[in-house]
Amino acid sequence: MTAAIRRFFDHDLWWSFKSSPLTVAAAVVTLLFVLAALFAPWVAPHDPFDPASLDLLDAFTPPAWTERGDPRFLLGTDDQGRDVLSTIVWGSRISLLVGFAAVLLSAGLGVALGVSAGYRGGAYEALVMRLADVQLTIPGILVALTINGVARTLVPRELQEAAAIWVLVLAIGISDWPKYARLARGTTLVEKSKDYIAAARVIGLHPLRIMVRHLLPNVIGPVLVIGTIGLALAIISEATLSFLGVGVSPTTPSLGTLIRIGNDFLFSGEWWITLFPSLALVLLVLAVNLLGDWLRDAFNPKLR
Amino acid sequence: MALLEVEDLVVEFPTRRGPLVAVDGVSFTIEPGEVLGMVGESGAGKSLTGMAIIGLLEPPGRIARGCVRLEGRRIDDLPPEAMRRIRGRKIGAIFQDPLTSLNPLYTIGRQLQETIRTHLDLDARAARERAIGLLREVGIPAPERRIEAYPHELSGGMRQRVVIALALAAEPALVVADEPTTALDVSIQAQIVQLLKRLCREHRTAVLLVTHDMGVIAETADRVAVLYAGRLVELGPVEAVIRRPRHPYTQGLMGAIPRIGVRGGRLVQIEGAMPRLDAIPPGCAFHPRCPRAFERCRHARPEPSAVGPGHTAACWRRLEEADA
Amino acid sequence: MSTPPLVEVEGLARRFDVSRPWLARLLLREPRRFLHAVAGVDFVIPRGTTMALVGESGCGKSTVARLLVGLLAPSAGRIRFDGTELDLARDRRAFAPVRRRLQMIFQDPYASLNPRWRVADIVAEPLDAFGLVRDRAERRERVAELLRQVGLSPTDGAKYPHEFSGGQRQRISIARALAGRPEFLVADEPTSALDVSVQAQILNLVKDLQERLGLTYLLISHNLAVVSLMADQVGVMYLGRIVELAPAGELFARPRHPYTRLLLDTVPDLEMRRRERTPVAGEVPSPIDPPPGCAFHPRCPWANARCRAERPRPLPVGAARVACHAVEEGRLPDREGQGPRVPH
Repeated sequence: MTAAIRRFFDHDLWWSFKSSPLTVAAAVVTLLFVLAALFAPWVAPHDPFDPASLDLLDAFTPPAWTERGDPRFLLGTDDQGRDVLSTIVWGSRISLLVGFAAVLLSAGLGVALGVSAGYRGGAYEALVMRLADVQLTIPGILVALTINGVARTLVPRELQEAAAIWVLVLAIGISDWPKYARLARGTTLVEKSKDYIAAARVIGLHPLRIMVRHLLPNVIGPVLVIGTIGLALAIISEATLSFLGVGVSPTTPSLGTLIRIGNDFLFSGEWWITLFPSLALVLLVLAVNLLGDWLRDAFNPKLR
Repeated sequence: MALLEVEDLVVEFPTRRGPLVAVDGVSFTIEPGEVLGMVGESGAGKSLTGMAIIGLLEPPGRIARGCVRLEGRRIDDLPPEAMRRIRGRKIGAIFQDPLTSLNPLYTIGRQLQETIRTHLDLDARAARERAIGLLREVGIPAPERRIEAYPHELSGGMRQRVVIALALAAEPALVVADEPTTALDVSIQAQIVQLLKRLCREHRTAVLLVTHDMGVIAETADRVAVLYAGRLVELGPVEAVIRRPRHPYTQGLMGAIPRIGVRGGRLVQIEGAMPRLDAIPPGCAFHPRCPRAFERCRHARPEPSAVGPGHTAACWRRLEEADA
Repeated sequence: MSTPPLVEVEGLARRFDVSRPWLARLLLREPRRFLHAVAGVDFVIPRGTTMALVGESGCGKSTVARLLVGLLAPSAGRIRFDGTELDLARDRRAFAPVRRRLQMIFQDPYASLNPRWRVADIVAEPLDAFGLVRDRAERRERVAELLRQVGLSPTDGAKYPHEFSGGQRQRISIARALAGRPEFLVADEPTSALDVSVQAQILNLVKDLQERLGLTYLLISHNLAVVSLMADQVGVMYLGRIVELAPAGELFARPRHPYTRLLLDTVPDLEMRRRERTPVAGEVPSPIDPPPGCAFHPRCPWANARCRAERPRPLPVGAARVACHAVEEGRLPDREGQGPRVPH
């Protein structure tokens, strides 16, 4: 792994990164989001989940720069008097957590199935890839909704609150694996035909060891690229599910939940409650997506 | 007058770390009807020389110096459109992989007729007649039927025959053949070499035959140019160069080729490898591998000079011996 | 033969299923189709000698190589190594001790080394796999020794394959093959991707190693000159069968099978005798649908009705074994091969 890191900086990759201001900006924004999410308890000006600190009299305070604004609440407050900026910080935490975990799950699942299918071939490969094809014909959000529904009926009522996040991760993760499986299988097929794999087989290495030591490193690069774009998509999926009301509970809001809550007040004039979480979501997804695009181009030898 | 004159040709690739000189001051001529073999190991610049002549250098590669004259007229600075007309009409090209030289979507007859009609003033009927004649000439059986075939329906050897027919379609004065037999099986290689030789003799077509295979050169060429690290190290009649090579690199190369019937012995070995383009040593590019290098070779670059009738070598040792 | 055989191959065959998918077969009423890449091959390689298989692409020589090292499972026939019958491809675990003793060198020096691994790790892969070293120090020591053995420097171990030229990569590949101290090496076109000067280095190295380590080789090549330099025994393959098997000196001095003669005729003549050659017309037919009788008959100037109908069996002729009706019946004119010549 240290070798991979060294090559990263040796290569033109670092150079191409520095020479693209948009990419640098995207990286900075993403980093800010990640840091804010990691250190939410210290970064957020208020703790929106501490009922003791909430005062319903503060509810519906508009942003600080408006006429009725309150300097304590930079982006205003929501219907329960929670500071919108703080909820965004905490919401990003949930969104990023769900996004990362979902991508890890789908990439892990997809890569394991894709690499093994590509390497083993035969009926196993046909089964895995047809399964992937079938799932790809169904919209991802539908798959996620179904899995979400099934999982919820299986989880006992008293645990549902706590398990909500992980049900989401499972739903989004499973809905997204075919992409990774196809990519991993494609790369595996290319590498499998090369003689260094034959050399490993002549030595008599266990197939699992060949897959992990020889094939996996080749798959990681391209998976990282679509994983980044996948992260953006997973965050949107989470927001969509939460917006539809099947995501995390309103007491621990994600960006999607915040947008949905705010949506109810859009027509009564409290626009800030939904606008700022929406902007945050757009900004985060855009930044992550730009990073992914750059990674894809940087890894594509034809464009280098 | 020579058919083709190449003078001090330099081909460069600009990179972030400065230009890489892939062909460095190569000069030679080809007479009408003559087969000039151009031999060298991969990276020696032989294919790039061929590409530069037919104006098909892949960007960012470019001719940085020197000139190419065809029938006395400069062609290296022509605009792409004018060069395209010369290619095909005056210069034919044959590449290594016959599959990529043919368009998979059109029948070979259509491709032949298109080339014929682009360059010669013939109507459709006459062009078809000529296409069939060409196919027959390159040894394709039942050409009246095969003219309707698509490239994938032919074998590798047959495809290369079609490519040769295409190259000769407009009766060019020069054919640049870049490794025309490398992708083919040995028995087919021999057929193609014989075919190329016969056709060029019959049509009085001159050939620049680029190959890494000294055997193909020995069978086909009248003269041979040996390239090393982008430089012309030896040029002369094929018999002289093969029987009595004068440059130490050519000598090593000839000794390194295994021959049938010679068993048990060791091959002559040139130590090391050809330098990469970004690390060409000063002086004679071959000196770090040369068993006979001396002080002068390390800092002064030798120019080609006569070592026999029509035979030149770029080597300080040779010059010294000639002086003595 | 005086030396005991190390490798014995008997009736070795391998076919590949090249049928269309099941549904298409059903709709087109097509039977299953098989490509007989290797269709019954026998040979014996005495210890310490080199056997070469020559032929054009598609003749099955590379398939034989892959069968011998267990990359493919045979459809029929047997492979015996030092007296033990092998089935490497089917039973990975049972033959682990034998596996160490036979290794392979590949054609493409770019594809045969994992570009993401350091050279030291590539060379040490067999050491780790077979558990041949006890600790890191011993591993380092052994890798350095292997690199020196193939003419590289121990410090090269820290580099990546892309930092090396084709010839140096092939040396790395050889070092890896030697790591398990094998007795038998299968070399599949080891120099055909290399330039002649580099080819000479590698061929010399391969010869030196044979002398020093007493190795036995199976060399797969399309280049008769290389074979003539390296081999003690040569098998000429055509469409999955060995048509002529002979000691190298014999084969090149007195080629018997018409196909062997054809191949020898195609070798360009560096002696500049400029003989007008009449290359045999035609091309290798598809191995999916080989001609009946002798597979070579459509290209053979001596073919008759018997050749078109009946497959010739390999029969001993002098020190050689030739599968040809014309040779058997003595219809073939004698032909001088290319006798020993002295290089300049």
